[in-house]
Amino acid sequence: MIMETIIEVSHLKKYFKDVKAVDDISFQVEKGELFGFLGVNGAGKTTALECIEGLRKYDSGTITVNGKMGIQLQSSSLPAHIKPMEAVRLFSKWNKAKIGFTMLNALGIKEIEKKQYIQLSTGQKRRLHLALALIGNPDIIFLDEPTAGLDVEGRVSLHEQIRKLKSQGKTIVLASHDMAEVENLCDRIAILNNGNIAFCGTATELTDKIGEKYFIHIKTQQGNSTFETDNIEDTLISLLNDLKQKEIHILDIKVDRGTLEQHFIEMARRETK
Amino acid sequence: MKGFLYGVALQWKLDIRSKSLLVTCYIIPLIFFLLMGGIFTSVMPEMGSTLIQSMIVMSVSMGAFIGLPPSLIETYGSDIKKGYKANGVPIYLGLVTMFLSAFVHLMITCIVIVLLAPILFEATLPTQLPFFFLALAIYIIVSLSIGSVLGLTVKNQAKLTMIAQLVFLPSIMLSGIMFPIDLLPDFLEAIGRIFPASWGYRLMLDNGFCFENLWYLIFIFFAAVIVCGIVLKKQKAK
Repeated sequence: MIMETIIEVSHLKKYFKDVKAVDDISFQVEKGELFGFLGVNGAGKTTALECIEGLRKYDSGTITVNGKMGIQLQSSSLPAHIKPMEAVRLFSKWNKAKIGFTMLNALGIKEIEKKQYIQLSTGQKRRLHLALALIGNPDIIFLDEPTAGLDVEGRVSLHEQIRKLKSQGKTIVLASHDMAEVENLCDRIAILNNGNIAFCGTATELTDKIGEKYFIHIKTQQGNSTFETDNIEDTLISLLNDLKQKEIHILDIKVDRGTLEQHFIEMARRETK
Repeated sequence: MKGFLYGVALQWKLDIRSKSLLVTCYIIPLIFFLLMGGIFTSVMPEMGSTLIQSMIVMSVSMGAFIGLPPSLIETYGSDIKKGYKANGVPIYLGLVTMFLSAFVHLMITCIVIVLLAPILFEATLPTQLPFFFLALAIYIIVSLSIGSVLGLTVKNQAKLTMIAQLVFLPSIMLSGIMFPIDLLPDFLEAIGRIFPASWGYRLMLDNGFCFENLWYLIFIFFAAVIVCGIVLKKQKAK
């Protein structure tokens, strides 16, 4: 299958005085792809996205975007007393776009149409901003930390919407600091660290690169302990046997694949080896 | 054009929902008019001939310097601006719609004063109403342009409260609306002339519509437009 490049970023640099917010990054996004930008706060995700979106000037490099953009910013707001449908009408008239009532219903805008912006919850505001980003029926949708501040239900609902958009053939660029979110949703991931791309590829390629690393967290009466392992079964059995022999009572036990920070540490450790 | 007109109509509605604009454009100016109108005309009956112009200067100054700038800060000092930009709405829309909406609100207040003053306080109506309303429109536009500069250049509400008072108080104290300007010491009279209120007041008086009273207002308006243009251009470039 021939892939069509819809976004091409080459040697993009954006400095704020001495701070290298984005330092010579290059990548491509293919049409219909869900591309994740992953990184801790301050890694340069938002700055890079805003340069691509045309909202921020950059120092050097080239950016090519072949399609109509819809943008949901990380921090965005509307006048306190505006009602959701008034905002929708305002933006649709400026973009000379027809209002997609199916999309609005799917995002639950109808349910909140009588409320003023100031009265909306964080989740409702996020949904409204997503609806505004989708008004012009864009080819490419930029979502910057779309689930930040949402409860579990809100996150699940927004993830469903994102998957639905992808199934409609939209190209989506998603910035997040939540590894699980990006891993679950995205076809490819770019990990940003201090303005550089530390990794760009699929989740499987990332796992191959860092290895099958797991973290076992055990809570006992004596305190909390975390163990790193490549083999859950063996390590878990040996830990449980060890604790049983020492007659230490386990209060809680949890196994996870590690936080983004833990993987960064692991990647950095391997690179310095 | 549809988007622009919808933006203006929407802003007008938002202003009505916003209690702060309701207070600064309608409630305080009209309460001031009702109280001071009675006091002025009973203490100095001769003020009946200039009561309408005096109360209008106070109302317009209140709405333009105290009412408009906080709404501008809400948009241009926050993420609303980014939201507009990201959704394809030009950056000037907020300023222009707020300006036009405030113009309509202030014009309504002024018309209420013009209609009520002769009935309640036996105030004299301006003899040349078309010139009076033209002068009024010019004065509102100039005052709002100064309010726009304040709203775009001052970055936070606390600073704005202080700076707006530095424009508002001399405008009403030194413009001749409270007492004749020739009673003031020379230096205060000179300071009063810096503010457009004294020029607007004279422009609205009978036989006051002349270039001598107009040129300074035109100058202030164009200076304010240039400043607003530069500030918006800078914000866009960021």
